[in-house]
Amino acid sequence: MPWSRFDSNYEVADDGRTLSFVEAIREATDQAMGIDPRVFALGLDADDKFGVFGSMSDLSHPERVIGTPISENANTGVALGAALTGMRPILINLRNDFLLVAMDQIVNYIAKWSSMFGDQIQVPIVLRSVIGRGWGCGAQHSQSLQGLFAQIPGLKVVMPSSPYDVKGLLLSAIKDDSPVMFFEHRWLYKNTGPVPEDMYLVPIGKGNRLREGDSLTVVATSLAAAHTQKACDDHDLDIDLIDPRTIKPLDTELILDSVQKTGRLLVIDYDFPFGGFGAEVCAMVTEQAFDALKAPPQRLGFPDANMPASGPLERAYYPTPDRIAETVRQMVGSELVV
Amino acid sequence: MASADSIKREQALWMLRRMRVVRQLSERIVELYPTDVMETPVHLCMGQEAVSAGLCCHLTDDDVMLLGHRTHGPALSKGLPLEKLVAELYGRTTGCSKARGGSMHVFDMEHGLPGSSAIVGGSIAVGVGAALSAKMRDDGTISVSYFGDAATNAGVFYESLNFAALKKLPVLFVCENNGLSNVMPQQEHSAYEILGIASQFMPTYRADGTDALSVFSQAGAAVSHVRETGRPAFLECKTKRWMKHQGHEADDLDINPVDRQKDCPIAKLEAFVQVSGMANARELRAIRDEVEQEINAAIEFAEKSPYPQPKAQEV
Repeated sequence: MPWSRFDSNYEVADDGRTLSFVEAIREATDQAMGIDPRVFALGLDADDKFGVFGSMSDLSHPERVIGTPISENANTGVALGAALTGMRPILINLRNDFLLVAMDQIVNYIAKWSSMFGDQIQVPIVLRSVIGRGWGCGAQHSQSLQGLFAQIPGLKVVMPSSPYDVKGLLLSAIKDDSPVMFFEHRWLYKNTGPVPEDMYLVPIGKGNRLREGDSLTVVATSLAAAHTQKACDDHDLDIDLIDPRTIKPLDTELILDSVQKTGRLLVIDYDFPFGGFGAEVCAMVTEQAFDALKAPPQRLGFPDANMPASGPLERAYYPTPDRIAETVRQMVGSELVV
Repeated sequence: MASADSIKREQALWMLRRMRVVRQLSERIVELYPTDVMETPVHLCMGQEAVSAGLCCHLTDDDVMLLGHRTHGPALSKGLPLEKLVAELYGRTTGCSKARGGSMHVFDMEHGLPGSSAIVGGSIAVGVGAALSAKMRDDGTISVSYFGDAATNAGVFYESLNFAALKKLPVLFVCENNGLSNVMPQQEHSAYEILGIASQFMPTYRADGTDALSVFSQAGAAVSHVRETGRPAFLECKTKRWMKHQGHEADDLDINPVDRQKDCPIAKLEAFVQVSGMANARELRAIRDEVEQEINAAIEFAEKSPYPQPKAQEV
């Protein structure tokens, strides 16, 4: 089987090569298509000359890249039908806002199909979609809807933050026999980092400690993880920085271990706050590590309001590395007062 | 009809037997449903049996068919074993969906049934995806999206026709048109002729859905088109729903007058096979009795099967 080489060894050695986030997506897609003829991609503009911001450019198997009409609901049903009959589709949405047009297929169909039939059939679909703000894109082109999908049983939700992770996680998602929502922040696309050329997997459900520190546990996803790294570089913060990489399934053990050490928790997730991922992590830690907490867990993300468009309003709405540093200092500073 | 000349005895009797299974199981459900042995809604196919029987005569087990909520008739016609359906209705682990689906979610990959959906419309697109897969894998199969007239109100219907025509996919769209969306008549839910829409995308075929021979003939032509050209086609079969949208009671809508003698697809086919000398009254009685025995056995199988236990994460 094409993927059996990964059954025991997920990792490869660093070969000193550097790629951008978007190049890593492209390479993972190309390599998956290369070893497995069942893998194909479809979506609006998937086959156009811009190749989904370059993530689909110059692939070795262009015959397996299918451009679609703006029919997100049918496109998603088509991906399901193909997955039920032996293929492994990657369905691409240029903005995650477009997933909402296909909520029936994603929530009522894809998420439920396997369990609704007694786990007799598998649904190997990757739903790639691009999240986050652009440049005055306003309320319908700037959302990050990971929390919405994480609530639905049957969906895995993946949020890579680095070029290394995005390649390994995309390969894991394609290899996975169940549906995976794969959220890529557009502001990460040009970031560069070490990415080995060989195929490797980053396991779904395994988080990553990006910084080691004692005074505060920060759980940060996707662009927020990258922003928090920058905040650490700029402001010399002493934090334990956890990038969960996949928010469902969630590496709760890694987060709980860290909170046991620090006694404090800040969750940074660029999404709406009400009933979201940040709330879930705060609830989980409160339920499972209440005795370790020295202060109330806190969240940083979007306000409970729709995205604005004008520059000054955007700058007020969106968190930044500086705001992250300020929040961390407030939380850590409170320890001195206690 | 031309089909009266071309249909073979075994095909006519195959359709008759499948229709009898659907009919007689429905009649048994009508008897048993008030006793609450089936804790699931039932959308019965009484009166509509000819559509799936006439269609499935032309399909192989490898051809896949995606269904909506009214599953019993098309699933049994496609080959779902009777006892697996009954066990699913009884909520037992031996059911076709291992007691996880209920009446509206049936599965049997051995007979080309990758599942069905209770959200009207969406499974039309899933059938198109199965056709895309068949084309990419080049395995010579076709797929069928099987739905009712009300499903044509959903946007995904139009999207699916467009996708299938645009990408030249081997999918047959079959509309089992009983003229009702729950209790709403078609003229109140559709300002269009269904084939008027479909004909802009692909060749269309029309059959009398209360007449198995008519469906056999038109479905045969439609399936041949899809198989030979690898491109989509559309078949509409107008039929009559005898029962309420859901449940075990006869329909009593003024807008849906049913003449159970004149509109009966089984009576029509039985008359044909007798007149044409394919079978006599004694043989027809034997089919009816055998089906009755199969239903008895299926119910006994279901009653003896275990109920499922909740999984750890479900408690």
